[in-house]
Amino acid sequence: MKTTPTLLAALLLGTLAHGALTPAPNNDGLILPPGFKAVVVADKLKPLRNIAVAPNGDLYAKTRKDGIYALRDTNGDGVADEVKEFGDGGGTGIAVHNGWLYESTDKDLYRYKLNAGELVPSGKPERIVKDLPNQGQHSAKVFAFGADGKLYVESGSPSNAFGGKNDRREGAKGEDPTEFLKTHGGYWRFDADRAEQTLADGQRFSTGHRHSTTIALNPANGKLFVAIHGRDQLSTVAPQFFSEKDNAENPSEVFHELNEGANFGWPFTYWDANTKQRKMNPEYGGDGKKLAEPGKYPDPLVAFPAHWAPMQLAFYTGKQFPAKYQGGAFLAFQGSWNRAPEPQKGYRVVFIPFDAKGMPTGEYETFADNFAGKAEIASPGDAAHRPNGVAVGPDGSLYISDSQAGRIWRIFYTGDAK
Amino acid sequence: MKIVASGLLILTLAACSKQEAPPAIAAAPAPAKPATPAVAPAPIAAPAAIAAPVAEIAAAPGGEAVFKKICATCHMADGSGVPYLQPSIKGSAWISNPDPQLLLSLILRGSAVLGEAAKAYDNDMPPLDNLSDAEIAAVATYVRGRFAAPPLTEPVTPAQVAIARARPGLPE
Repeated sequence: MKTTPTLLAALLLGTLAHGALTPAPNNDGLILPPGFKAVVVADKLKPLRNIAVAPNGDLYAKTRKDGIYALRDTNGDGVADEVKEFGDGGGTGIAVHNGWLYESTDKDLYRYKLNAGELVPSGKPERIVKDLPNQGQHSAKVFAFGADGKLYVESGSPSNAFGGKNDRREGAKGEDPTEFLKTHGGYWRFDADRAEQTLADGQRFSTGHRHSTTIALNPANGKLFVAIHGRDQLSTVAPQFFSEKDNAENPSEVFHELNEGANFGWPFTYWDANTKQRKMNPEYGGDGKKLAEPGKYPDPLVAFPAHWAPMQLAFYTGKQFPAKYQGGAFLAFQGSWNRAPEPQKGYRVVFIPFDAKGMPTGEYETFADNFAGKAEIASPGDAAHRPNGVAVGPDGSLYISDSQAGRIWRIFYTGDAK
Repeated sequence: MKIVASGLLILTLAACSKQEAPPAIAAAPAPAKPATPAVAPAPIAAPAAIAAPVAEIAAAPGGEAVFKKICATCHMADGSGVPYLQPSIKGSAWISNPDPQLLLSLILRGSAVLGEAAKAYDNDMPPLDNLSDAEIAAVATYVRGRFAAPPLTEPVTPAQVAIARARPGLPE
């Protein structure tokens, strides 16, 4: 029983750190690694997007269509005792940075001053970036702060593979994206403190991606990492080349380092998760076999299964979880819709290990599962919950938000495997 | 008739935004006046309104196959849609209108015919005018029998599709 002393030590530390945190019965149905517990922070809120935790432990959660929730646990049991909603405009991105709460709608980015003691910011929001492209599809504007203190904001691509008016239809033909990519399909760099910037005031930092709702800074090496949603509907667009199974399994969700000038190959290519090759999209002459020009676009650092829908990414900066998690990252997958008639998949939070240099090892493992609440679902509407946001609290707990039924969990480690 | 069309859009939006229950019948748009009096009568005798939808679906061979291949990809096999991305079509006012011309316009021209109402969902529906009149008639018949509230059992004919295809936009 080599593990016993470790478990005992962890249990003792856990008890000291979280004397009052009370796990939900059966961890609220979540499947977690041994020694981890879950408590429901809040439930039946509006559908939630990304979340952020302030240094004092106050939690902020974006709603997709409405305001921002501010949640505070005043007695330390893990359950939010104060839940307020403020602001409006919906959206996805949110972060606490240098005493400000930054948040994005689908076209603007604002910040509120966080004053000591205030759960809901008393000041008016200041608009930092305005009038970003918003055509509805792939319009979430996630953002992160780089090691340079600059603000990196996504502008997505409102299509599947730039197929014009027949995008997502059998026989869709790709158009020339040169002009389009000047304002879409990349990350733009802005000043984090200057008001009323437009896309033209920013610098296009990367290009050639379809849509990314995932960006975070690894504090270990100052590098930014992103995940990108792979394409949909291969078998719809080119049924002569792709079976429904090919569509369900092949077009990977990819994880990359965000380097200046990076081009991730959309709309011309996709990453085939099965053969581990970059292939041409059928909108641009692909037939399921034709490879992209070698070396033109970077290979992904991690390739996730097709259609899982990577959402918020959080590096584990805490000390509460066991050593293997420290320096790694958690990524929430909202779960698929485009795997039908195959069962839908995703609907989990994964852990991505990073090496001593702060780079991903290429592997990943499921950390929290059973959000869907059943073994197999045919449609996203059948899922009880869909994980969207992840954030690390000041005590090292991991918070997870739900875009389906508005629940928030706090995951903590006790070492008690029962 | 622009006002009527806008009213229909709003009603449709209201219906689509409710993911579960089909809209109350009272919320469905008033049956449009027969927009296409020139249409030849349906080849199958008009059913006594309460005919079993299953029987009528069987009378439209190919409709289910087209639905599974084309429609179910986005709207899901059970018609429930995908939150925020693609609407549920269960009880959709566009499908539930006894006159099939609205539904046929939507299929042929995609979500562009919805105008502002299309913004309730992120993804665009492409125009499916690459399908044949027979395929569209079959799938329209199928979805009316399965998803209209109440189910509509009168088959949609290729001739009705041809009329919708020839018209530049929504029916008057």
